[in-house]
Amino acid sequence: MEFAAFIVFFLIACTLAAVLLGISSLLGQKRKAVREMDIYESGVNPVGSATRQYDIKFYVTAILFLLFDVEIVFLLPWALAYKDTTNTGFMIGGFVFFMVILLVGYIFVINSKALKWEE
Amino acid sequence: MAIDILLTLLTVVFSLMVVFSKKTVVAAFSLLMTLLVIAMIYFQLGTVFLSAVQVLVNAGAIAILFVFVMMLINLEQFQNNREKSKWKLVVSTLTMLVLLGVFALVINNNIEALSVVNLTDNSMKTLFAKLFDVYYLPFEMATVLLLAAIVASIVITSHDRTEKLEEK
Amino acid sequence: MLEAAIEILLKTVVILALPLGALPLIIHVERRGAAFMQKRLGPNRVGPFGLLQPLADVAKFMFKEEVHPSHVKPFFYTAAPVVALVVALLPLACIPVAGPIEAFGRTIYPEVFRSDMGIFYAFAVSALGSYGILLAGWASNNKYSMLGALRACAQMVSYELSLSTSVVAMIFLYGTNDIHLMVSAQTGYWFGVIPQWGFFYQPVAALLFLVGIFAESNRLPFDLAEGESEIVAGYHLEYSSMKFALFFMAEYIHMIALSALFIIMFFGGYSLLPGFDLIAGNNPTLIVLLQVASLTIKIALMIWFFVWVRWTLPRFRYDQLMNLGWERLLPLGIANLIVTVLFVYFRNR
Repeated sequence: MEFAAFIVFFLIACTLAAVLLGISSLLGQKRKAVREMDIYESGVNPVGSATRQYDIKFYVTAILFLLFDVEIVFLLPWALAYKDTTNTGFMIGGFVFFMVILLVGYIFVINSKALKWEE
Repeated sequence: MAIDILLTLLTVVFSLMVVFSKKTVVAAFSLLMTLLVIAMIYFQLGTVFLSAVQVLVNAGAIAILFVFVMMLINLEQFQNNREKSKWKLVVSTLTMLVLLGVFALVINNNIEALSVVNLTDNSMKTLFAKLFDVYYLPFEMATVLLLAAIVASIVITSHDRTEKLEEK
Repeated sequence: MLEAAIEILLKTVVILALPLGALPLIIHVERRGAAFMQKRLGPNRVGPFGLLQPLADVAKFMFKEEVHPSHVKPFFYTAAPVVALVVALLPLACIPVAGPIEAFGRTIYPEVFRSDMGIFYAFAVSALGSYGILLAGWASNNKYSMLGALRACAQMVSYELSLSTSVVAMIFLYGTNDIHLMVSAQTGYWFGVIPQWGFFYQPVAALLFLVGIFAESNRLPFDLAEGESEIVAGYHLEYSSMKFALFFMAEYIHMIALSALFIIMFFGGYSLLPGFDLIAGNNPTLIVLLQVASLTIKIALMIWFFVWVRWTLPRFRYDQLMNLGWERLLPLGIANLIVTVLFVYFRNR
């Protein structure tokens, strides 16, 4: 039942966006101009193709985001279950261990300067 | 019931698109759609937390990695050096369908034996109670695994070490 | 069955119409606010106080020529603004505008999508926000766009981490992820005057979340992705007319949705503002209306804060931005979490 609510919401949002685009493409004037078809680079002719090498740091950022995100996702059930447990010492022990490992990883990342963007 | 069939069909369609599409970015985005549809399947099955985690981690982080790679190396199309043979395609599809059928039959008949965790219901409370009760050790070991992954990703992508290895 | 369908449709239409209807007003407030802060007049010619200016803008967007540059990738070029808008609208589905309403013999929850995952749904869906930008930058086949898109995505992704650490700390404090329970945990007053909002329990987490939502919605000081003077217009460079308007709308709607989340966790959500509970008394209809009004006022103040910050602070350089996210905010979030957990544990011993 709730899933139906989500699907309806999603479909109406998609339809809205599609309708807006449709209206614009119907109502906009159509002209055949020549200069507007080029790649825009501040008015000069484009230099080189769009395929160039990008810094590996973007990829490293994405991978490290994934890993730390998974760690935080592991913490979410912990945070929710803490209220219900009787053995809080056990939970805290696990939390401390978890945090120690996370901090070791984090300090390694910072020390290695893998994410240090220079100017 | 109709929703389940529709979701399964969508999963199959998107995963076939991942495997068979020639353009790299189309494959990457089909992977994203596959993961999202699987999250919806998880939701339909009642494991709501897993559905949220699937979107958050799988679709929101892993698929971003794939999309980044496809965009960064800017490979337009996959190289396709295979020889095309209609017979191979037919035979492999049939084999796959037979194997899937056997697999489905086996799972269907042994589903109680396969469920390891034995939750009474699908709610988050029972899931977490079990997680921090019986399965605490795998939970902690997962952190160590993540630490290994962090170290590995930094070592692989750092320049200095590869240069030193080449000098030797 | 029919009743359920009508209920879903009604809720969807209302919850979609509210932010979309407020959008022209927000754009107008932004432009007049910007002018006010820069000591000039904003748009004030079209209609009284220039209030019809946004309508004129909408009409302009609709009638402008749809440019189809030949070098873009066709499907993804049109899909990107749609993806951006839909992903920006999705978090709104789980935000309740008022408390549970007792009517027609059962409890109606004024949110479109109610499930066990509560507020996790909103965070999960905002994690998908980077895809609209990535698609736009890549489909434009333009160096500026691609670079802008990559930087925007890396920035959004880095600040999602510190945002998540502050969310974990708040969920730990509330012990629940159900939005209605979170809001009812924030009712009540200290000394009869100061409301017991999450902000006063966890100011550090509130600060982290605030910085995070500025980065998530690509607003100044984090708007390097569309840095107006640097890489021209970044990822929406090659877009014109309605597609550009869709990106624009997506950014504001993302702002509204994230402000709503911020207010739910730190400022009491739809709980009544300090003066209102005296007016409401015990009249249920009045309580619901005042709850909606409280939420609207709080979100409006947040939006004004967004506008205020945008036209006050200079933009961060990209390396400053990324180093801030990874080297200052993330350890702050982790430290905040550790301190909170240990504090609660030792206090309850």
